[in-house]
Amino acid sequence: MNEFATVFAAELDRRIRSRFFVIGLIAGALGIAFFIEFPNYLAKSSVTKIVLVGDAQLTSRAQTLLKSDFDVIGTEPGTHVLSAAELRARNANGAVMITRKDDGLHLAVYAKDPGDILTVTLRRDLVELNLELATNSSANRVKSLIDIPVDLHVVGSKFGTAAQSEAARGIAYILLSLLYLLIVMNSQFVMTSVAEEKTSRIAELLVASVSSTALLAAKVCASIVLAIVQMLSWVAVALALGGQTGAMPAASAAALGGSGVSAFSLSGVTASDLIGFGIFFLLGYLQMSMLFAAIGALVNRTEDLGSLSFPVLLPALVGFIIAMSALALPDATYVHVTSFIPLLSPYVMFERMVVSSVPLGEIIVAVALNVLAIWGIAILAGKLYRVGMLLYGRSPSYRQVLKVLRSG
Amino acid sequence: MRDVSFEIARGSTFGLIGPNGAGKTTTMRMILGIFEPDGGSIAWDGRRIDGHVRRAFGYLPEERGLYSKMKVREQILYFGRLHGLRNPDVGKRADRWIEQLGLGQYRDLPCGELSKGNQQKVQVACAAVHEPQLLVLDEPFSGLDPVNADMLLATLNDMRARGTTLVLSSHQMWQLEQLCSAFCIITAGENRAQGTLAQLRADWPTRVIRVEPPSAAVRAVLERIPHARSLGEENGAIDVEVPAGIALPDLLRLLIDVDAITRFECIEPSLHDIYIHTIRGAA
Repeated sequence: MNEFATVFAAELDRRIRSRFFVIGLIAGALGIAFFIEFPNYLAKSSVTKIVLVGDAQLTSRAQTLLKSDFDVIGTEPGTHVLSAAELRARNANGAVMITRKDDGLHLAVYAKDPGDILTVTLRRDLVELNLELATNSSANRVKSLIDIPVDLHVVGSKFGTAAQSEAARGIAYILLSLLYLLIVMNSQFVMTSVAEEKTSRIAELLVASVSSTALLAAKVCASIVLAIVQMLSWVAVALALGGQTGAMPAASAAALGGSGVSAFSLSGVTASDLIGFGIFFLLGYLQMSMLFAAIGALVNRTEDLGSLSFPVLLPALVGFIIAMSALALPDATYVHVTSFIPLLSPYVMFERMVVSSVPLGEIIVAVALNVLAIWGIAILAGKLYRVGMLLYGRSPSYRQVLKVLRSG
Repeated sequence: MRDVSFEIARGSTFGLIGPNGAGKTTTMRMILGIFEPDGGSIAWDGRRIDGHVRRAFGYLPEERGLYSKMKVREQILYFGRLHGLRNPDVGKRADRWIEQLGLGQYRDLPCGELSKGNQQKVQVACAAVHEPQLLVLDEPFSGLDPVNADMLLATLNDMRARGTTLVLSSHQMWQLEQLCSAFCIITAGENRAQGTLAQLRADWPTRVIRVEPPSAAVRAVLERIPHARSLGEENGAIDVEVPAGIALPDLLRLLIDVDAITRFECIEPSLHDIYIHTIRGAA
């Protein structure tokens, strides 16, 4: 226990003072701040500014209907077509001329970039006004006809409303990214630390002084503690910034398969989400860090880490991609199956837990399979670590690695 | 390893000798519990070597290294703590080693900034800070300049005087001869010879006799010795290899009868001679 505590304390000290940890902490905090603030900024800056031209009564009514999607920066009576210079002077993306034609409306759009003003949105926003004019009905009457009452009955879902379901997808997206980052970053730290000891030739002195099991366990535990510190500091940054994103960036929305996720709020994170996050972080981290430690023990030059670590990184990447694609399809068969496969499971099962109702039995089975996998990986990685740390001068061949794994 | 067996007396200095690849490092790693032997057993004071026993051991491996960014004193403290030392004892011991090895001016410098010689001193301090009962040193003199080699030799002698048992391997036979009280020669994972230098010499089949002057009368006497072989003349003396069991006083008497002998010396085989002879015999 004493040797564990000594290595643990030294490892913490070395890691906290390392440039990588400090950079990771700051870069992560900046990333979180960016993730929270950028969509808000994007949402504000991407609103199309338009000038409405036409009859004052029509433009006034249209201004009210368009305000949710456009920034109407002015109205012009009459039918004067604004020139490019006039639009530039008003800092407007375009002008929309509204006139009456037959029984309804007619719109003419003048824009330098036709893509700036979406005609579909214009039509949708002004359909109410068009119906008012066409049917000679009051605004209230038209509104009540458009707003068809819908009773939503939730069947087999843990969410009561569509908004809750969407919010859960937002939460799953953020937490999944955080989970992947924390697992991969911190387990790679273990690999780097082991490789450093191997390449600096101090490994043999260490394994002669302390059991390789205690050495590896202390490294992994120190890294877990630092990962938690890292996570808490990131959460603190998120809370300080209000913890709420605006519209999700287009790329993120595309990653969600157009599921319509529009916002993330820390207040929507439930206790079960946090417990699931903690459990699957530990499971995923323990699997990855031990495999990475074995890789670190096998290299003789830190330059070889990249190529050797890729096969270990691959399952995590696959698990992350499946979990991301499954945000829109949490009950798909491939999601169901992969949520039980160790190395993939920490991401996929966690994602299922957040966005759908997973029976407790399935979660227990997934956790049990992961614990079994950790046990197996610990034996395998422990052997590779113990032998790899003392192999100098050449990288072991696959035959040697297999021989080590088969030995007692 | 196939068949290696030896005993080391407490407080003695034991030399493990053999060509590259003979199994010296593997034997040392097994003593330290880094490798488990497939068969046989290794014990210290009659106890199987486990984590607790191993804490009383120190090791200076052939592949040496330090945490390059860790400061000298911190590094020694760290290894002291790994061997069970606690504050304030560990600090006092670290300071004593820093003082003894002349590292005072470097104590707060990162090890990576030290010269190779000074780094080796720090490694010795890391291996010995806990005053081990058994200190295992794999090629401790390799890469050391003569001044640092002397410093290490003095340090090891000092430790031996304080009761530490030393096991070391080296290709520098003269250093081992100076330092060790017993030896084991291994090749290809097997014992070839072992014992004190006197015991190893006792098994040596010949001796070299050096006689002055190398006159014709002297040469005639020497040529009459059965199985004698002349090794030539050098610096006014003749060297002859004779069987080990020859009665030297009788031979001296015969020589004095034929000439005025100014030198009669029986040269014992050195550890180097014994090693070379044993290895060639094994091959």
